[in-house]
Amino acid sequence: MKVMTLAALSAAAALAQHSDTVLVNPFQTPDDRARGAVFFRSQCASCHGADATGGAGGPSLATGTFRHAASDEGLFKVITKGVPGTPMPGFSMNGREIWQIVGYLRSLSASRMAEQAAGDAAKGRAIVGAQKCTGCHWMHGGGSPRGLDLSTIGARLSVGELKRALVDPSAEVAPQYWLWEGKLKSGETIKGHRLNEDTFSIQIMDGAGKLRGVDKSTLAEQKLERRSAMPSFKDRMSEAQINDVVAYLATLKGDAR
Amino acid sequence: MRAVSLLFAACSLYAQVTYDRLLKAADEPGNWLTYHGQYSSIHHSKLAQITPANVKDLELKWVVQAKSLEKHETTPIVVDGVMYITEAPNVVVALDAATGREFWTYEHPLPDVTYPCCGRVNRGLAILGNTLYLGTHDAKLIAIDASTGQKRWETVVTDYKKGYALALAPLIVKDKVIVGTAGGELGIRGFLAAYDAKTGKEVWRFKIIPEPGEKGNETWGGDSWKYGGGSIWLTGSYDPDTNLTYWGTGNPGPDWNPAKRPGDNLYTDSAIALDADTGKLKWHFQFTPHDEWDWDSVQTPVLVDHEYKGKMRKLLLWANRNGFYYVFDRVTGQFLSGTPFVKQNWAVGLDEMGRPVKAPGRGPSAAGTVTFPGVQGGTNWFAPSYSPVTKLFYLNTWDDYSSIFFAWDQDYEQGKWYAAGGVKAEVQSASRDRLNRRNPGAGYGATRALDPVTGKKIWEFRTAEVSESGILTTASNVLFTGNREGHFMALDATNGKLLWRKYLSGMAASSPITFLVNGKQYVTVAIGQALFCFGLRD
Ligand code: HEC
Ligand code: HEC
Repeated sequence: MKVMTLAALSAAAALAQHSDTVLVNPFQTPDDRARGAVFFRSQCASCHGADATGGAGGPSLATGTFRHAASDEGLFKVITKGVPGTPMPGFSMNGREIWQIVGYLRSLSASRMAEQAAGDAAKGRAIVGAQKCTGCHWMHGGGSPRGLDLSTIGARLSVGELKRALVDPSAEVAPQYWLWEGKLKSGETIKGHRLNEDTFSIQIMDGAGKLRGVDKSTLAEQKLERRSAMPSFKDRMSEAQINDVVAYLATLKGDAR
Repeated sequence: MRAVSLLFAACSLYAQVTYDRLLKAADEPGNWLTYHGQYSSIHHSKLAQITPANVKDLELKWVVQAKSLEKHETTPIVVDGVMYITEAPNVVVALDAATGREFWTYEHPLPDVTYPCCGRVNRGLAILGNTLYLGTHDAKLIAIDASTGQKRWETVVTDYKKGYALALAPLIVKDKVIVGTAGGELGIRGFLAAYDAKTGKEVWRFKIIPEPGEKGNETWGGDSWKYGGGSIWLTGSYDPDTNLTYWGTGNPGPDWNPAKRPGDNLYTDSAIALDADTGKLKWHFQFTPHDEWDWDSVQTPVLVDHEYKGKMRKLLLWANRNGFYYVFDRVTGQFLSGTPFVKQNWAVGLDEMGRPVKAPGRGPSAAGTVTFPGVQGGTNWFAPSYSPVTKLFYLNTWDDYSSIFFAWDQDYEQGKWYAAGGVKAEVQSASRDRLNRRNPGAGYGATRALDPVTGKKIWEFRTAEVSESGILTTASNVLFTGNREGHFMALDATNGKLLWRKYLSGMAASSPITFLVNGKQYVTVAIGQALFCFGLRD
């Protein structure tokens, strides 16, 4: 009996140790990725879109970051177990097939992120300071509370995307940054970003970073613009300066893998 | 001696849910005896204690939390003070309708892997005598003792490993339990089957995808019938006068690559009327022949006796996912009329037989095709209501929205998705997101009242987000419904004015029901992961 217990204990210890080490995807050849793409197309694309950038039923899986998984092992688990309470089912494919899909999903962001920045990161850092980006953004523990955090932006956006964000910020704006302006019946005007909305109310972050709930029945008028509050830096910086800023931002990968 | 006779009296008084009670369910509005409340499926109650004037005095009586994170799609049944609900995946709970306290729970053990298309949800139960009937994700039909929660028998409806699952509430007709199966995205071959309520023995089976040699198989090119889909995942209706049971059938498979299945693809996307004793097809009507958009006709068949062109007729009212509102003679199946009730661009119109004349180039493509309505259709499985008081038809619609439909090639493999295409849309099919940041211009939800004969809009109540909630109307002209935003609302059924609302957070994906507790009218709605019960302040 005693021996049994000991054996069980050491097995548990081994397991615990095992779960500390991150499982590495064992199927990562180009051929595996191609197989993964085929499986993805047939089993996942109906919900996640043919190019994995999202569909009517499922979110984009092409960004390289995931809500429910921090590692390849995490992705493996999400795919086999599903996300309870959502249409995302658990899949009963064999382990190899699932690893192949994981490899394919990783390759989507890997190829996107492969592009190297042309500018000088050190110069870029200085420009970011001079241009007062932190008047709107949060960066390395300081800046504006209403702004998006740029501290790890290089892990999420590719060089091309960073450049576009600076040159043409309104080209693609996530809905929580669309500009909202409401005029209350009382005469007060509120400007900010719409964070949430239902039939009866709107949840706003105003220009000072303050969160406000607005009862729609108190509104005289409102408008929502699919536009960024960020100015284009196309005419405020030279091409070389923009490249320098991009090179700097691309180094901001934080702890994200 | 005295004690014994008392016990006997209790036994003989014990109310069983006889078939006769089911037939007359509308006349005992203190209970909610079937999934749709009554065989005509009008989701209307004769109760009238809660009125447009006093509905603002509703207060929360109790809440029952589900233990599952899945969508809570249960519509309860209520029998003499006891409420029976299901929770995902396959849990049955008997509770005191007065307090919400549980009497017992039954948990059906499931294999690790089952094949639900869209969550391991369950929509509810049926009752006959003292037995409850549950369909399961491993494609079984289970009979459960309503007093003890113990299993009496189980029957394997079909092999779940081939992609079948039961998510619907069964329908009782006479001494039979009728069920269909989900699996339209997994290459199943759908059917409707009736079982002896006492023994679980199969009595009849109607194949939605006819096999070679059977009528209708000629509407499937090549071998395509083998994986033709044709699910049934919502409870049908029954008319004792015609002895016909009416059901809506699901999409053909694969969903979005129609080139894989040349022909009309009978009996997918259809209304079917079957002899309830034999399962023989009396008539059918196919709403979307050769469907290219996944527009299941899995809606509630609403049976109404109503004046049509000066004559009382037995009508079947049907607001279809394809965006058209249809009226039929339910005895003969004759198509009487069809009109769009939301923005649509896939059909030029309907011909005199009700068959759509498709607009060219609206089917899925490799590059994507924008089609109105979007993949979830103009409405879907959530129950509409008909009020014999206002003589109006009520439904939740998704209007002015589209999806982009994509097609690609794919071969069938057992137990795997077989959709051969995909969809993108701003109005998401299913959403667990707490936040609605959608472009308001991409579409909206609306609770609407239609003239049941012409389909003309009488009023609407618009919402920012869409709704997957059923509708309940009462004899006092109160309309209850919920939505994805988490609101439970009471509207005036005569004009659509908002009378009362409560924010409960989470989405409503089942039907509100009403019943009496100690003579007082209560209303329940499942929102998020809980069932909420409201009544007037004491
Ligand atoms: C029926 C539609 C559907 C299918 C089919 C489907 N998914 Fe999903 N998937 C979803 C939904 C919806 C979510 C979002 C769940 C949530 O709300 O968090 C999701 C989430 C995910 C996530 C987590 C994303 C994140 O940010 O953490 C991964 C990974 C994923 N799916 C992979 C897959 C793969 C791989 C397949 C095919 C093997 C697949 N899905 C098939 C609907 C689907
Ligand atoms: C007036 C306020 C403002 C200023 C100044 C500003 N930004 Fe922004 N920025 C925003 C807002 C709001 C967004 C989010 C909306 C969007 O995507 O454009 C944003 C987005 C971005 C993004 C894209 C983030 C993403 O996830 O897509 C990057 C990169 C960025 N800013 C960098 C900078 C840099 C570098 C500077 C200084 C050179 C700067 N911003 C100055 C307001 C500002």
